[in-house]
Amino acid sequence: MTTTETMAQPGPTAAGAKPMIELVGLTKRFPGTAEAAVDGLTLTVNEGEITVLVGPSGCGKTTSMELINRLIEPTSGQILIDGEDMTHTNPDELRRHIGYVIQETGLLPHRTIAQNVGTVPGLLGWDKARIAARVDELLEMVGMDPATYRGRYPKELSGGQRQRVGVARALAADPPVMLMDEPFGAIDPITRERLQNEFLRLQQQVRKTIIFVTHDIDEALKMGDRIAVLRNQSHIAQYDTPENLLTSPADDYVSDFIGAGASLKRLNLSRVRDIEMATDAPTASLSTPVAEVRAVLLASTWTSLLLLDATGRPARWVNSRDLARAEKGTALTELGLPVEAIVEPHATLADALDELIASNVGCTVVVDGTGAYQGVVDLETIMTVVRTVRDEYERFHLAQKLAQQPADGQVR
Amino acid sequence: MTFAEYLTRNYDNLLELGLEHLNLVLISMGIALAVGLPLGIVAHRNGFLRNPILAGAGFFLTLPSLALFSIFIPVLGIGAPPAIAALSLYALLPIVSNTVTGLASVSPAVVKASQGMGMTGFQRLLRVELPLAWPVILTGIRVSTQVVIGIAAIAALVGGPGLGTEIFRGLRSQGNASAPNLVYGGTLGVIVLALLLDAAFVLIRRLTTSRGIR
Ligand SMILES: Nc1ncnc2c1ncn2[C@@H]1O[C@H](COP(=O)(O)OP(=O)(O)O)[C@@H](O)[C@H]1O
Ligand SMILES: [Mg+2]
Repeated sequence: MTTTETMAQPGPTAAGAKPMIELVGLTKRFPGTAEAAVDGLTLTVNEGEITVLVGPSGCGKTTSMELINRLIEPTSGQILIDGEDMTHTNPDELRRHIGYVIQETGLLPHRTIAQNVGTVPGLLGWDKARIAARVDELLEMVGMDPATYRGRYPKELSGGQRQRVGVARALAADPPVMLMDEPFGAIDPITRERLQNEFLRLQQQVRKTIIFVTHDIDEALKMGDRIAVLRNQSHIAQYDTPENLLTSPADDYVSDFIGAGASLKRLNLSRVRDIEMATDAPTASLSTPVAEVRAVLLASTWTSLLLLDATGRPARWVNSRDLARAEKGTALTELGLPVEAIVEPHATLADALDELIASNVGCTVVVDGTGAYQGVVDLETIMTVVRTVRDEYERFHLAQKLAQQPADGQVR
Repeated sequence: MTFAEYLTRNYDNLLELGLEHLNLVLISMGIALAVGLPLGIVAHRNGFLRNPILAGAGFFLTLPSLALFSIFIPVLGIGAPPAIAALSLYALLPIVSNTVTGLASVSPAVVKASQGMGMTGFQRLLRVELPLAWPVILTGIRVSTQVVIGIAAIAALVGGPGLGTEIFRGLRSQGNASAPNLVYGGTLGVIVLALLLDAAFVLIRRLTTSRGIR
């Protein structure tokens, strides 16, 4: 078997995607252990994509990761980056060109945030002015005001801020490849959600080749362009896109790992901008005369109308009872309900559903980057997506059953 | 002669002996540091050597001080050299053991991240591990210094310099009316020196420890 055959074997290769990291039969056996921690891992990671390694605790994710930047030396196998065998290069030099983020952040506690972020550029011998400029640029990128934070120490930051600095530090020397080992694993769920979203936005700009490790399938589905579901010893159970994992899991191990609610999980993959949102909701400007507003509402099939402020931003939901009171003189701005459920087009349907459930109104308002009204997503829209996935899933299982029948027949 | 009279008359002499004493302590501590710090680093990095090194450094503390001072007389003669040799050995254990403890207390995540960023082993030691272990190491140095200031007084028995000379002069002239003054004078000098050095350590600690780990 040639190397290329081995490499081409697992996982989908999307048209146009260029392989960046190729792991070939990577094996690590720790001294004194019966089983290899990583056994013959062969995986191709495409340039500019986030590839997630997901699997239960102890299945070998961290070991696999550390084999790539050679914190652990492989027992056998090869690591090719950009076609070049990394197994025999200088490991320190190699690591300076691979961004590395770990769950515990590992920020240097005795150094300021600026010094932490500037570590790798310093090792690479950049001059002071260039490092300082780069540090400020990166702090901006991860949403931290450089003037406020550059002189602080890690202990003076919250957990979420520390992990932002960890990400900035990994990006400092603009490495083509990043390794992230459960980077958001130790952060509270709300902050984690925010960091995930911000990181995805950041990745749109920087387009790094990223290997992202997590034990959380939901995080994997959210972050991954491609996901390798691992079983023990880093054996790949399935290497596929998130959509395919949800609709066509390779076996029981994978579907068990994805767990119940695969179709609900699909909501994490669909973004508001990708679906048909309702644009027929009645709207009117706050300055419109009440009689006219009422006419708009009556002409629609809706029970509530969305009032927009002068800049086109959603202001309040009002129904016909509110409008009746408005005719008696109450100001429109004091009637109805404030608009609480608001998302931007890049939000996932899961976000939209969350907002919807938390609000008193049966739908979530979609606004553009400036906050101007775009349309609404209601429960019906979301249910349609869920149903589509379930249908696809059932079709897949049916197809699998049909495919097995003739084979069974032959055996008998 | 009252003690106060003694002090005013012997002030210059005590000051000179005090400086000799300080000198003896600083030289011994310098040698102990130059040997102890590397030994501590080796003991931290090499699991096989750790216990032998710690046991070796601990061994000297168990020897009676007079014996340790005398051992060196045949080789180094009398005076300051055997005193310095003995004091350096006494100072070793707290420095070595605190270096090991300090380095071991550095968070594994910090070590891993430093390695993962591409620091060489030496860079990691110099820029990460030693600075982080420093407060613990400095405590070791401080303890050593206090031990050495006291034991240095015995150096006078092997002809060494320092405040011990005054103390033993007093002890030898028992019965003489001014004898207690000499003993108290020398002892007072040792105490003052110990307090001054301890204050210096508080200052050094402040100046050499990053605000991030204070
Ligand atoms: N340094 C080591 N020595 C021996 N065994 C190890 C070492 N590191 C990890 N292992 C073992 O290798 C397996 C995989 O560990 P790890 O890669 O940390 O898993 P994960 O990151 O998926 O939780 C585990 O069984 C673990 O006990
Ligand atoms: Mg792990």
